[in-house]
Amino acid sequence: MTTTMDRRSLLTRAALGATGLVAASAMGSLAPEAAFAAQSPDAGQPDPNFAEGVITGRNQDLLQVQGSDGRLHRIQLTGVTSVWKLRPTTIDQARIGDGLYARGVLLPDGILAAEAIWVNIVNLTVAITAIGRNGVQFDHHGQKVVGHVQSGTTAAVYNGTPAVSDLSMLKVGRHAQVIGAWRPGTNEIDIATIYTSN
Amino acid sequence: MAGFNGEASWFCCGNAWGPCASTGHGACGTCNSGSFQHAWPNTSDACLAITRPDRCGFTGMTRRTCGFRHATTNLCNGKRVVTSIADCGPQTDLFCGEQACCGGTCAANRLLDLTPAAFSAIASLSAGLIPANIDVG
Repeated sequence: MTTTMDRRSLLTRAALGATGLVAASAMGSLAPEAAFAAQSPDAGQPDPNFAEGVITGRNQDLLQVQGSDGRLHRIQLTGVTSVWKLRPTTIDQARIGDGLYARGVLLPDGILAAEAIWVNIVNLTVAITAIGRNGVQFDHHGQKVVGHVQSGTTAAVYNGTPAVSDLSMLKVGRHAQVIGAWRPGTNEIDIATIYTSN
Repeated sequence: MAGFNGEASWFCCGNAWGPCASTGHGACGTCNSGSFQHAWPNTSDACLAITRPDRCGFTGMTRRTCGFRHATTNLCNGKRVVTSIADCGPQTDLFCGEQACCGGTCAANRLLDLTPAAFSAIASLSAGLIPANIDVG
């Protein structure tokens, strides 16, 4: 069984380049689902093992991130970092201008060794305003958001049923929750999963 | 495990990028995506008039105000996070009867939204929606 200290130690070594993919198998699952806080903060407090913001620089696998609150983060991607950008992908897909959320282990030098990053991910509660051949338009708190359907990726969940690629049961006027990937600098997203209401 | 079961999702608040950039610091004025916080459907009369869990048959939701702590346990993996109320939500009545399941474990109705920091401590953000147990933290 992997302990918190095991994960911290392995991530630290991975961040230093001492391990790499070998560490992946030692840690077990490295899917985003497996990325958990090493130490939980008190309720209401910021989590030092979590970061969000926009990527402003990249030096190999070290990301410089400008937090929305003004803080600067340095986030180290490693061979054991899981990456989501519309779908599970590789660390080279994190690019300057992208927004992200990251969870990992904050090292003594202030670098966050990332267990998982979610690039451009959004979770929007919307109303469906139009449905087209290749996309769906939404109203998000009065703002228009254009959702693009990505063949092979976009799925719909109709009131808790298993996700399917068939979007034909979407209806204009219904509310929905959309997990997607924002296209930086636009009001457009690529749709990963759309959950529809009654 | 006491408390009750329902669906939990996540939402952004505070300073943010992308479509979240227009969100504020929530009904309590303290909400930030990077903090261990959550939205609760019954923080005030005005809040309850928006969220309306009673329309989904969920009555008796306790009035809890800003700063009150809840513990949320992901029923898919047993992971637990303790957070404090920072906003009003989710709008339960938009998704009445909806279920989130993993394996044979299901929970119905959206009863709590976590910040990204809190949700990612118990599940992947890409999961979006999880069945959860919600209790006093």
